[in-house]
Amino acid sequence: MLFLFRWWERYRLGLILAILCLGGAWIFSRSQGVGLLEVFRFISGPAQTDAAKQKQLVDAQTVQLRQQMADLKSRNQTLQELLDQDSVQNKQAIAVQILGRSADNWWQQLTLSKGRTDGIDVGSVVFAPGGLVGRVTAVSQGTSRVLLISDPTSRIGVIVSRSRHMGILQGQSSTDAIVTFFDKDPDVKVGDAIVTSSLSRLFPPGLLVGKIKTLKLEQNYNPQATVELAVPISKLEWVTVYLNDQTASLQKTVPANP
Amino acid sequence: MIKPLPFRKQSPLTLNLWNAAVVVGSVMLCALMLILRLPVMVLSGIGPNWLLVWVVTWSIKRTSVEGVLAGICLGLIQDGLTAAQPTHTVGLALVGLLTGRLNKKRFIQEDFISIALIVFAMALMVEAVAAIQFGLGGTHRLEDVWLHFRQMALSSGILSSLWAPVVYFPLNRWWTRYHRLLGIE
Repeated sequence: MLFLFRWWERYRLGLILAILCLGGAWIFSRSQGVGLLEVFRFISGPAQTDAAKQKQLVDAQTVQLRQQMADLKSRNQTLQELLDQDSVQNKQAIAVQILGRSADNWWQQLTLSKGRTDGIDVGSVVFAPGGLVGRVTAVSQGTSRVLLISDPTSRIGVIVSRSRHMGILQGQSSTDAIVTFFDKDPDVKVGDAIVTSSLSRLFPPGLLVGKIKTLKLEQNYNPQATVELAVPISKLEWVTVYLNDQTASLQKTVPANP
Repeated sequence: MIKPLPFRKQSPLTLNLWNAAVVVGSVMLCALMLILRLPVMVLSGIGPNWLLVWVVTWSIKRTSVEGVLAGICLGLIQDGLTAAQPTHTVGLALVGLLTGRLNKKRFIQEDFISIALIVFAMALMVEAVAAIQFGLGGTHRLEDVWLHFRQMALSSGILSSLWAPVVYFPLNRWWTRYHRLLGIE
């Protein structure tokens, strides 16, 4: 009896570990390695594009298309005769992967993995599913830098898609931006789509920027509204860049004064 | 203690070349990390300021002049990566100056905690300098700058100090060995 007790005292740790290992291996083999795969998925989770993000992008695109249609309809009424010649445009855009973000916390920028050799130039307009993202501000042979519309230095002429009231959109370094309207009492309500204005020289008109989140109309002059940007910029991995000729031709076809 | 000395037989020139390669390579790596924003390193869209950590690591055992020089160089690199106006050199040069002037012998042991604390304080300072520059620049409204500074400075400081050992440990180890091989220390 004493012999058995001593043996147990001496080997119990190894024995328990061995049993645990064997048991674990057995369970693992019975479960087809699901546990390990789950752990692996959990670890690599941040590197994966999950379904929720994809759904958000698709939703954003649906909203964009719907708003674009509404916007085109309303613009069509006033611009029909002016636009009939160049109504069919040969869109030249390339899909570009995002290489990195801005190198400090004050600027809102993207670095793209294509540059001048692919036809990107300073001023090229950058899109993503959902709407406008920004504008190329610097370009090298193989990369380009985009100033996002969420940057506080970026100011864009925009209009309310439904009522055509004009304003200026300024980024807030977040997913929201602020529109300052020109009119004292603009016809605008929460949920209205904000699109780029035809007066903007930097962006082609009618592109979805975001939708109104809250209103601050009671301010005496310069009524303001908070706009939720349409594109989930922080989640993007690919963007679409309109090559410069295209932007230019878009601008040419649109009259300065509708 | 440092046991293997693979560079013992090397001439000072080779050693210096190696050192230059380490310096350039580590700076490039830091600059790359700055734009990469890997998911584990990001807190509400804000990443660690790798170049700041590098400047602190560099200046901690050097004079303030060397620190200022490094700060200016890396500030220029960061300018190149974002925008030159307002410049990042002011903040990083200040970091190099102050870190170089710290009386390490008396106040600070060279451990990760001290490094993390220094980096934290320096990150707050760099963001404050940037905030002042943006505020004076006239492109941003003052209340926006203040709001953004409050939202960001703390996360930037915490992240930078948490990730500081990743830069500090290998570089410090290399420089200790390098100086010993050259007979400086």
